[in-house]
Amino acid sequence: MEISVIGSSQVNLGRVNDVGFSNFSRNLNSKNPTAKNIISKGSNLGQNQSFVWPSKSAVGFIVRACASAQNQAVVSEKASRISRTKPNDGVKLYVGLPIDTVSNSNTINHARAIAAGLKALKLLGVDGVELPVWWGVAEKDAHGKYDWTGHLAVVEMVQKLGLKLHISLCFHASEESKIPLPQWVSQIGESDSSIYFTDRSGEQYKGCLSLAVDDLPVLDGKTPLEVYKEFCENFKSSFAPFMGSTIMGLSIGLGPDGELRYPSHHHPVKRNTHLGAGEFQCYNKNMLNNLKHHADTSGNPLWGLGGPHDAPGYDQSPISGGFFNENGGSWETPYGDFFLSWYSSQLLKHGDRLLSLAASTFEDVPITISGKIPLIHSWYKARSHPSELTAGIYNTVNRDGYDSILEIFAKNSCKVILPGLDLSDEDQPTESRASPEFLLAQITSSCRKHGVEVSGQNSSISGDLRGFEQIKKNLLGENGVVDLFTYQRMGAYFFSPEHLPSFTRFVRGLNQPDQSLDDLPVGNQESVEALPDKNLQMQTT
Amino acid sequence: MATVTMGPLFHHRTSLKPIPKFQLISTKPPPFHLNCTLTPSSPFNGAIFSRYFKASKAVSSTGAAVVETLESSNVTFSENFKLERAQKVEGKITVRFDCGKNDENCWRLTVGCGLPGKWILHWGVNYIGDVGSEWDQPPLDMRPSGSIPIKDYALETPFQRKSAGGEAFSEIMIEIKSKSSVAAINFVLKDAESGNWYQHRGRDFKVPLIDSLQDDDNVVGTINGLSTWPGAVGQLSNKLLKPEAAESKGEDIGKLNLRSRPLQGFYEEHSVFKEIVAFNSLSVSVRHCQEKAKNVLYIETDLLGDVVVHWGVCKDESRNWEIPAEPYPPETTVFRNKALRTLLQQKTEGDGSCGSFTLDEGLFAFVFVLKLNENTWLNCKGNDFYIPFSTSVVPHRHSGPTHSEVKEEHEEFSSPVISTDASKTNQADSAYTDEIINEIRNLVSDISSEKSRKTKSKEAQESILQEIEKLAAEAYSIFRSSQPTSPETDVLEEEALQAPLKISSGTGSGFEILCQGFNWESHKSGKWYMELQEKASKLSSLGFTVIWLPPPTDSVSPEGYMPRDLYNLNSRYGNIDQLKVLVKRLHEVGIMVLGDVVLNHRCAQYKNQNGVWNIFGGRLNWDDRAVVADDPHFQGKGNKSSGDNFHAAPNIDHSQEFVRKDIREWLLWLREEIGYDGWRLDFVRGFWGGYVKEYMDSSEPYFAMGEYWDSLSYRYGEMEHNQDAHRQRIFDWINATNGTAGAFDVTTKGILHSTLERCEYWRLSDEKGKPPGVMGWWPSRAVTFIENHDTGSTQGHWRFPSGKEMQGYAYILSHPGTPSVFYDHIFSGYQSEISALISIRKRNKIQCRSTVRIVKAERDVYAAIIDDKLTMKIGPGQYEPSNGPQNWSLAIEGRDYKIWEAS
Repeated sequence: MEISVIGSSQVNLGRVNDVGFSNFSRNLNSKNPTAKNIISKGSNLGQNQSFVWPSKSAVGFIVRACASAQNQAVVSEKASRISRTKPNDGVKLYVGLPIDTVSNSNTINHARAIAAGLKALKLLGVDGVELPVWWGVAEKDAHGKYDWTGHLAVVEMVQKLGLKLHISLCFHASEESKIPLPQWVSQIGESDSSIYFTDRSGEQYKGCLSLAVDDLPVLDGKTPLEVYKEFCENFKSSFAPFMGSTIMGLSIGLGPDGELRYPSHHHPVKRNTHLGAGEFQCYNKNMLNNLKHHADTSGNPLWGLGGPHDAPGYDQSPISGGFFNENGGSWETPYGDFFLSWYSSQLLKHGDRLLSLAASTFEDVPITISGKIPLIHSWYKARSHPSELTAGIYNTVNRDGYDSILEIFAKNSCKVILPGLDLSDEDQPTESRASPEFLLAQITSSCRKHGVEVSGQNSSISGDLRGFEQIKKNLLGENGVVDLFTYQRMGAYFFSPEHLPSFTRFVRGLNQPDQSLDDLPVGNQESVEALPDKNLQMQTT
Repeated sequence: MATVTMGPLFHHRTSLKPIPKFQLISTKPPPFHLNCTLTPSSPFNGAIFSRYFKASKAVSSTGAAVVETLESSNVTFSENFKLERAQKVEGKITVRFDCGKNDENCWRLTVGCGLPGKWILHWGVNYIGDVGSEWDQPPLDMRPSGSIPIKDYALETPFQRKSAGGEAFSEIMIEIKSKSSVAAINFVLKDAESGNWYQHRGRDFKVPLIDSLQDDDNVVGTINGLSTWPGAVGQLSNKLLKPEAAESKGEDIGKLNLRSRPLQGFYEEHSVFKEIVAFNSLSVSVRHCQEKAKNVLYIETDLLGDVVVHWGVCKDESRNWEIPAEPYPPETTVFRNKALRTLLQQKTEGDGSCGSFTLDEGLFAFVFVLKLNENTWLNCKGNDFYIPFSTSVVPHRHSGPTHSEVKEEHEEFSSPVISTDASKTNQADSAYTDEIINEIRNLVSDISSEKSRKTKSKEAQESILQEIEKLAAEAYSIFRSSQPTSPETDVLEEEALQAPLKISSGTGSGFEILCQGFNWESHKSGKWYMELQEKASKLSSLGFTVIWLPPPTDSVSPEGYMPRDLYNLNSRYGNIDQLKVLVKRLHEVGIMVLGDVVLNHRCAQYKNQNGVWNIFGGRLNWDDRAVVADDPHFQGKGNKSSGDNFHAAPNIDHSQEFVRKDIREWLLWLREEIGYDGWRLDFVRGFWGGYVKEYMDSSEPYFAMGEYWDSLSYRYGEMEHNQDAHRQRIFDWINATNGTAGAFDVTTKGILHSTLERCEYWRLSDEKGKPPGVMGWWPSRAVTFIENHDTGSTQGHWRFPSGKEMQGYAYILSHPGTPSVFYDHIFSGYQSEISALISIRKRNKIQCRSTVRIVKAERDVYAAIIDDKLTMKIGPGQYEPSNGPQNWSLAIEGRDYKIWEAS
């Protein structure tokens, strides 16, 4: 819990308004002839920073830290109000910075745009931003050789504006933005491809390291876990001045795209358009050894020779026959249970290892730790949930696969990051038999059960009203499970005239949901009305 | 007693400091212009008001009520609004030419300007024996102190301020020794603050010192030409004190004895208009009287003249306008059952008006706009003024503006003139801003109404949301331009994949090389079309693919830019048949032909009943509804202009459907009848680019380009390195046309000027290492040029640095964009070099979307690699390409430029 003006300005639009606008008007009445506009800034930063907003007009717009007595009064009043509120009755709003904010060469890409964008977000009343920190950028050249300059520069920019920051430590690569794994890791991978996930046909997924090598000394005599740990520790010490003041949270990458799953879809297919359910990724040497050992010890050595032979391929419909067949598929046989239990337990253990690594590394700094779990909603309506199964989540009509996952989050006191809050069932193609809404409900109820807080994210930035309405519904209708929402992501489209107005309306809607009724198409109102005794003033933690 | 209610006691003014007004993104004009000089209130109105006074006093019951109000009420709302509107100020430019100190040999030219501001005289002279009309520097003994020479042909002299009876007045005196060899003095006035030029009939003012020059129609101090000049500036108030003008003409210029005829003095005045921003204020206070259950709202303003409050009330949190129950204040009328209109009472001091409104308790808010006259409305930064009533009546209030409803309402009550105009202007200036700002405005106003008792400063909110808007737009443009996924690049990639290139009217084939096929003198022979016809094969062999012909229509000015009858294509360049033959000939040699179409303005043929030239003739016999309303010269009855005004002729109102229909048909007719392939669009600053899109969509040109020419930004007399604002305006225009037309890359020309004149080649790389002109942002729509008939030729308004033209051509002919070569340069000593540059461009398939990699941008040298096929350098400094993967061989070398080809 922070107690500061930042805390208040972080809360929501209304609060920003409190601080910013009251100062405006006060200053307007002052006799200052230069018409400076003062916005209070994070006084907890203890700095008297001032800067001039680049302005084409002759008169600059001067923002300056304000430490007047009046302002202090505001601060303490706010602080006491915040400290009385419970953490769960409001949603903080963050916006993700561009994936490639920090370039491969450790500089800030389009820094001016980001600077302007951050100011706009600040004025809009957004609480903070999310910054991806790439393994492939910060530890690019050699093991143990860290370069944080680019990331530090971003953090300073964010701090100067009094925004909050969530760090995503990314131990994966991003194909989209051409951010690879560290060079030295890729080099190792060239000689030892068993560090990658491998599918039945022997194709490797090089977007992250296989969970099977977590504890094997494959990286120049170090295990990946040790390397991750060193990375985290170095990050912690390099960013120590910002911890708990600007950096409020950190998520640790758990797998492909940072999510706790297997890369069951090797070839990136456009979202929601694939028919297949993905393939099991248990075919690298280490996985197979592990499976064989497991089969031997469980008394079924023949089950340990490989993955299910009747599992469908990437582009085959999963429920048409074989392993995932709706009725009488192998998944419901003892063999199926044996394999799926093992496959999913490997993922669970990996998640547990990384979350406890992060929790222990950062236990002495006041930031929340989180991990991301995927929202694999396609084929959710099939009995076997084949997409989830290949991704390593043993969730079927007969079994709740998320319960055990959230248990490990709870055990490590970690928050969970859930994407896809913008997805609605209606928008899914019927043939994919997807149900993001039901899946989300299942996961969040598990979260409630285990007392795990949820940070939401959207999966796409379409800017259409439906997506925003869905997000709003999820944020305001989940009894406070979601306490932070990170909108992904800032970029050209985000600030485009097609998108920004809807986003602005969304922010307003979060602030005043009553009023948004007028904007909603008929039929979407129940989510808002169903809220009993809602405290719609969003609060900070 | 009623007067007491209005007294200052209750009118609690919070003295707000003005918030700095952010001019965002582009020069977005204030939504409403005051376009007429304010008329002083007539005595009749005064009388009405005095009756109102008496009535209030006489009716004792109301009087008593008011008294009670006084005693028990409290101020629940008080705010001072700043009213800002653009206002045209009329002033005079005076030109006096007289004999100084009674000395026959010493004459004086005195130029005065009666408009406020800092004025500069930009002037030059012609010497006896000069051929053509190019300016020269005046002799030293003529230069007043404080003059700054501008290159080698002009002088800039600041006006001296004189105060004449409190009126701002400034003047300049130039002494002319009669022994000097000056034949004429040419000048224009420049507003140092806005950078605007003030010319005489679209051209320079010209004061002849010898007779033979007096037949030019821009000559001042003579009577000739005026009668044939409908609608020009000079027509309005010319007081000619020099009755005798040229009597003996035709003498040989070369002979000095010309001067034997004595000079004669004269004095004349020209009306000029300048747009200034006028500030007024409006204060509103609300008192709540509990005993009477009334709210008393008091409005006071320092606006002069009649002020009508167009108002309604909100009965609930929606911002619907409703009419309250009677009684209404005196001088109130009901407007279409939607709103009430109340004329405010003139204050006795005559410095404004005021009025009070007594309303029942329980109403949510009082909403209003001010109406000054039929065309002039004032609102609160684009929204209605919204005055909430005491919150004690309704403890918790959301001001829930169902946005669309407010808008509808607004459009219904305000005259259509305004609502359409406002939206168009916004779109024209920045399609971006308004969408966002409305959203954000609602957002902010929602918040603020919630907190309205704490924070009332609307200006503060306004500046915040403007700041958001500005920042978002900035972020958007940078992200967009730096991301490989920008639409332009997408198009590029798509098109690159297609074997036959898609022809778009904004780009042609992408490989076009343009020739401007005329100069400012081309009309003089009367047979330009025939002369050009003979050059067709030459132009084709030089490599040109497109030619831009001069404006073909009947025109008041010989050059064609003051069109009159659009369907009459007999011009000083030749008749319609000669034009058709020329076009046919050009097509035969493989050159596409662009017609120069002037769509912004058109000269009238007849006067209206007030004697103003605004009735058109010919086949398109439009009346004053086709003329924009905001240029008082021409008393247009159309809507306000969707762009800037060109003041020398009636500006066409493109928002009128009948006008657009006629223009569409005319363009199609030109396409079919003459065979034009596309257009060069004159003065497109004057109207919204969206209309251009419509015209392009219907006339389907092969290629089209617009002339969007405005000033670059200078600081302390030096051009700023960053000209993003300038190119943004051009970019926005292209965007408004939906990319259906390219635009002249004025930015690149301007930057080349500074680069070459000052030897500052670093200017050729912007902050992101891209070309700094429009070419760096939207190369496929940039028509690059270094000179045209206005900037160069015999006008020389903005001449390219002399002697450095080939560096300019080496730059634009090697870079992306569609390069345009000026006629005067083609048929000059530069022809062989230009020809070589064109053939290098062609054989390396450099096109409008080629990529530029700037490898050096230093003080004295600029070098770039284009498409990995060409390396070029300009500037005196050293640069040699390094042979790596490519071997570079020198293709051409000239004065301070070199181009290498990859081999």
